[in-house]
Amino acid sequence: MTEIFSSLYGQPDPQGPGGASAMGFGPGKPQVPQNLGSMSFPHQMVSVDEGAQLRKPAAMNEPFYLLRVLPMENELTGHTNLITHYNLEHAYNKFCGKKVKEKLSNFLPELPGMIDSPGIQDNSSLHSLIEKPPVCNNSFSPLTGAMLTGFRLHTGPLPEQYRLMHIQPPKKKNKHKHKHHRPQDPLPPETPSDSDHKKKKKKKDDDPDRKKKKKDKKKKKNRHSPDPPGMTGSQPSSSSLR
Amino acid sequence: MAEKFDNLEEHLEKFIENIRQLGIIVSDFQPSSQTGLNQKLNFMITGLQDIEKCRQQLHDINVPLEVFEYIDQGRNPQLYTKECLERALAKNEQVKGKIDTLTKFKSLLISELGKVFPEEMGKYKAIHGDDPPS
Repeated sequence: MTEIFSSLYGQPDPQGPGGASAMGFGPGKPQVPQNLGSMSFPHQMVSVDEGAQLRKPAAMNEPFYLLRVLPMENELTGHTNLITHYNLEHAYNKFCGKKVKEKLSNFLPELPGMIDSPGIQDNSSLHSLIEKPPVCNNSFSPLTGAMLTGFRLHTGPLPEQYRLMHIQPPKKKNKHKHKHHRPQDPLPPETPSDSDHKKKKKKKDDDPDRKKKKKDKKKKKNRHSPDPPGMTGSQPSSSSLR
Repeated sequence: MAEKFDNLEEHLEKFIENIRQLGIIVSDFQPSSQTGLNQKLNFMITGLQDIEKCRQQLHDINVPLEVFEYIDQGRNPQLYTKECLERALAKNEQVKGKIDTLTKFKSLLISELGKVFPEEMGKYKAIHGDDPPS
């Protein structure tokens, strides 16, 4: 293996394995200063100034020439779980375990006004406040009587263009409803009269209690006034889709 | 530390509520509302004074500028925290993978070099100590 090095760098070495001594391997003395001038290393990176510094470790670490001191080992590296190390597990589970809502109004639900719209639209962005901070005095002084005369307003409602400021976006009410859109649900055998009705009935209320009540109503109506076949007199056809 | 945040939050909520009520008064102004309006205006100034006092307690708090971008876009700032944690974990895993790969490479290289250059590797281990293959 060491013969390859001598053939690569073209140095006829009388000692067979000593051809690699130029690279620091082999039993011979490391001929560091002399070999640098005589040999042509195309990839030699050592400058004249650094050569003096390298000679010291080479002399200390014989027979190796380019052996440097290993860097100090750092206790904290990327090998450890840094989230556990800095006790951020709770924060991680809180933010990444659960779904965080997208809108700003979910973070500040009690804040009035339309806060989900971008700040650039109504010139209320924080970025513009940082770039161009408002010029103001150091102290806040209360308004005197003379100053308050400037705030005498006309009676009556505001013009329409200024009325949107205190309007809040409508809050969506999450109605947890079971939406089972089945086109042809088989009707229960308790209501044989409904089996004659072949129309698709899509009902909004799928609660079992309401279903039972409606079934009871059907029974009562069927007892009192039997409907002719094909007519939907017992129930209103709720074909509205949700 | 949470107390000074609570204090500031309380002052801000009162200030915002005062502004909201001011807006309601102004939206349909009546002559009898003038004194109330003047009172609300002075409340606004005292509110600003209170917020100014809170500023001294929070001079050491730093907020990253990226959070302001989220707020300006109308997005929840907690998403920034979430994305920071996710990025940190991903980078941590990436670096750990690199460390593990290089450690394996080191042990493999030492073992192979030991087969080819047994004497030299023996001297190397004598200089650097017998590094256990991790």
